[in-house]
Amino acid sequence: MNMESQQRHAAWSLWSNPIFLRYCRSRLRPRGLGVWLLIVVLIASFITLMANSGAARMVADGYPERVEMIMRGSFMGLGFVQLFILFVLGTAQVAGGMTAERDEGVIDYQRLVPMSPLAKVVGYLFGLPVREYVLFLATVPFSLWLVSRGNIATDTWVPVYVAAGSSTLLYHLTGLVTGTVAKNRRWAFLASIGLVFLLYTAIPQLAKFGLVFFRYLSVEPVIVEKMPGLLPRDLGAIAEVGQRLAPTVKFFGLDFSELVFTLFSQGGLALTFIVMLCRKWRNSDSHLLGKLWATGFFIWIQVLFLGNALPLIEPGKIFPTRAFSRMIRLGPEWQPHGEEAVALSGIYGVVTLMLLFLFATMVTPSLDNQIRGWRRARKQGDTGLPVRSDPATGFWWVLVMAMAGAGGWYYFTHELIESKWYEQPIPLSIFGYFAAVMLVAGLGYQVLLEARGGKALGLTVIFVGVVPVMAGAIIGALPGHLAPAAAWLVGISPASFPIYATASLLPVAELPVEIARAVPRAFNFWLLVSGIISLWLIVRLRAARKAMAAEVMAGPSTPGEETAKPMAMVLPAVVVRDEESEDAVAPPAES
Amino acid sequence: MNLEAPAIEVRDLRVDYGNFIAVDDLSLTVPRGEVFGLVGPNGAGKTSTFKVLTTLMQPTYGEVVLNGVDIFEDLETARRIIGYMPDLAPVPSDLKVGEFLEFHAAAYGLGNRTERRERVAECLEEVAMTPQRDKWCKELSRGQTQRVVLAKTLLHRPTVLILDEPASGLDPLARRDLRNVLRRLAKTGSTVFVSSHILSELAEMCTSLCVMNRGRLLASGDVDQVRQQLGSTERTLTATALDRHEEAAAWLEGRAGVHSLRVEQPRIIFGFNGTDEAQADLMTGLIAMGIRMRAFEEKRSSFEDILVEVAESNRQLS
Repeated sequence: MNMESQQRHAAWSLWSNPIFLRYCRSRLRPRGLGVWLLIVVLIASFITLMANSGAARMVADGYPERVEMIMRGSFMGLGFVQLFILFVLGTAQVAGGMTAERDEGVIDYQRLVPMSPLAKVVGYLFGLPVREYVLFLATVPFSLWLVSRGNIATDTWVPVYVAAGSSTLLYHLTGLVTGTVAKNRRWAFLASIGLVFLLYTAIPQLAKFGLVFFRYLSVEPVIVEKMPGLLPRDLGAIAEVGQRLAPTVKFFGLDFSELVFTLFSQGGLALTFIVMLCRKWRNSDSHLLGKLWATGFFIWIQVLFLGNALPLIEPGKIFPTRAFSRMIRLGPEWQPHGEEAVALSGIYGVVTLMLLFLFATMVTPSLDNQIRGWRRARKQGDTGLPVRSDPATGFWWVLVMAMAGAGGWYYFTHELIESKWYEQPIPLSIFGYFAAVMLVAGLGYQVLLEARGGKALGLTVIFVGVVPVMAGAIIGALPGHLAPAAAWLVGISPASFPIYATASLLPVAELPVEIARAVPRAFNFWLLVSGIISLWLIVRLRAARKAMAAEVMAGPSTPGEETAKPMAMVLPAVVVRDEESEDAVAPPAES
Repeated sequence: MNLEAPAIEVRDLRVDYGNFIAVDDLSLTVPRGEVFGLVGPNGAGKTSTFKVLTTLMQPTYGEVVLNGVDIFEDLETARRIIGYMPDLAPVPSDLKVGEFLEFHAAAYGLGNRTERRERVAECLEEVAMTPQRDKWCKELSRGQTQRVVLAKTLLHRPTVLILDEPASGLDPLARRDLRNVLRRLAKTGSTVFVSSHILSELAEMCTSLCVMNRGRLLASGDVDQVRQQLGSTERTLTATALDRHEEAAAWLEGRAGVHSLRVEQPRIIFGFNGTDEAQADLMTGLIAMGIRMRAFEEKRSSFEDILVEVAESNRQLS
């Protein structure tokens, strides 16, 4: 049994994956599994037997046609139990289990075993929630019984289960990423449940405001599509009528079924999660995403936004008033309000800006990371850092993302406002404004993070991003003529820039009289102020980076001493990183 | 894997934590079959060095080659070569001892299930833990946990064993067993790189040593060579004379390197810092004076004392 005779583990070979088998062993022990199995089987049998009793009564009462209705209703009820097991219990177990591995310290053993990162991800992905899979499987015979008694068509229930399966994988991957990144077990559990709720319940609501893509991250579109086949026949018929009026999945000029597009959307996100996990398994210090991948993914999200939203403009299905009243036949005189376009464009801009912040966080190196990068470069005789490496500045990548975001936002707005609904021209100068918003807010955020670290950025986000909005809202609600002051106050927050930009610049905007003058003025003023601050930060950051590079390149320093003194001297107010910064890496404890 | 190459080659290894340099351009070579000890005070850079050697940490820069395999070029092969036992070796709470080892045997791809079970039994036997095979890992004592993790480390027959404080928590019997296991492994061609704070034991266990302080290698070689490289020539000498103690003491006090002299008849005890030749001259001188010498004893500073000196100087410098 020498080294050559040791077998390698293929990532796809789940049944021989040692991590999967290890969890099968520990999580499927009769003592632990038994109680859970009993509870789940009790609930499933209760639902099924209740349905059976109800059906028997209907037959006895002379309403045999209602048997199907009862069975279908019970199938839906059992479905919720199944989704709870897979989505909630499974995701929590994945996130908590991953953090427990790190808490106990055994994760280092797993890092050392000669398995590919992908094989490890697969092992954990299916191993940690294996008990939940077994619990789910225990309910499947009951579901099949209800499917058969309820005459639910195969092409109805199979797509629902396929979408539930892909959603489960996506949710569990979310939990795995959270568990890998979160430092504390309790936080991992809360963060994973919070993230799952946010990503797959709250954010999909943005579909109502034009960002239709987000709907397809959840199982909901497939369930809604198949609803007529799942509901009792009379209710199903109503749902079918409603569905004919509902938007179908269109992606630019292409038509997809709900299931295919859901799998496509979820697959992209799942792939990104897998890339993140593999990177973390290869090197626990690395960024979640490489710079190129992050930028590419950001641009891809823009393509998805546009691909889903643009085809809905012409038929008018993108407008909230139309979406909310789609059950009513709309007359030819129907016309969307101007505010709807302003809101749709503004929300597009805000979501793009938030995504820009998220991706900027992923690609921005910490100060430690930068110093190490420069030292490595010095050793290798290089004069600069490889532009795609983790220690390299994230500035240029965020710049590209900001321009791509501005481009997507402008294109969406252009198509919306120049459509048959408004027929107003959108000049190219508006793109300039949109680009300025993205660049000022995005680069300001990135530069602050790179120069001052997470804590300083967090405080800035609270006091510049959030507090002015809250204060503005409070003042605006007061009686009197304080609305203009509130508008000026809210305008301080860079998060308000996209809304202010659309409200100020779009020809269809109709602002209330009391803030009609304040909003454009506040927008221009605060954009200018933020631009100047961002520019100043950029200039100082560049000087600091140059000083750091020069210092590190100058030669070796005394062991145990600080080496980045010139950075602090060049940038006393900017690049003096907090000692207790979360990004600061503590040396491992020596025993 | 190059069978002619040294077991461990570290070149210009550097590890930084922000502005703190944990390992500073460390270079060392460990031949095959050695039990090589790494000694140093807290913060010397031992754990960081081990973490890099075991592929758990990316260094700022530097090269690590194990049996001819560059660990950053071929991670998977390197991981098959390495057996790592961390300090305060953790075990999972939800597995039994046998299951824990069988999981790792499977993760290293060791043969079929029967072969793996046999190998687990062998390793448990090696660390005298066979009776605990069906015990829960969480129920083990600290020493038993150490032994189980050592068994895990040996499972895949690694050719380079990296053990961080393996003897901590072990009772004297288990320490003796550990020493024997390490020696046996070294005889079969494996190389053991071990750190410990029980320095006397490390000196006993290891064929060679290196001393690190503030991220730098201060000395390496066998115990005497290390002592010499650390420049520790300090010793306590005791001259036992039959008569003329005061005269002998007065003569000794005037010699270079002699200090802290006191007379406790019939012994004259004094500290001496000088070469072996100068020490021989002292004895010759006393005899030449006609003093009847009964014995001349030497007590060198223990290895522990030397390291305490190193740690003290470290503290003063920082």
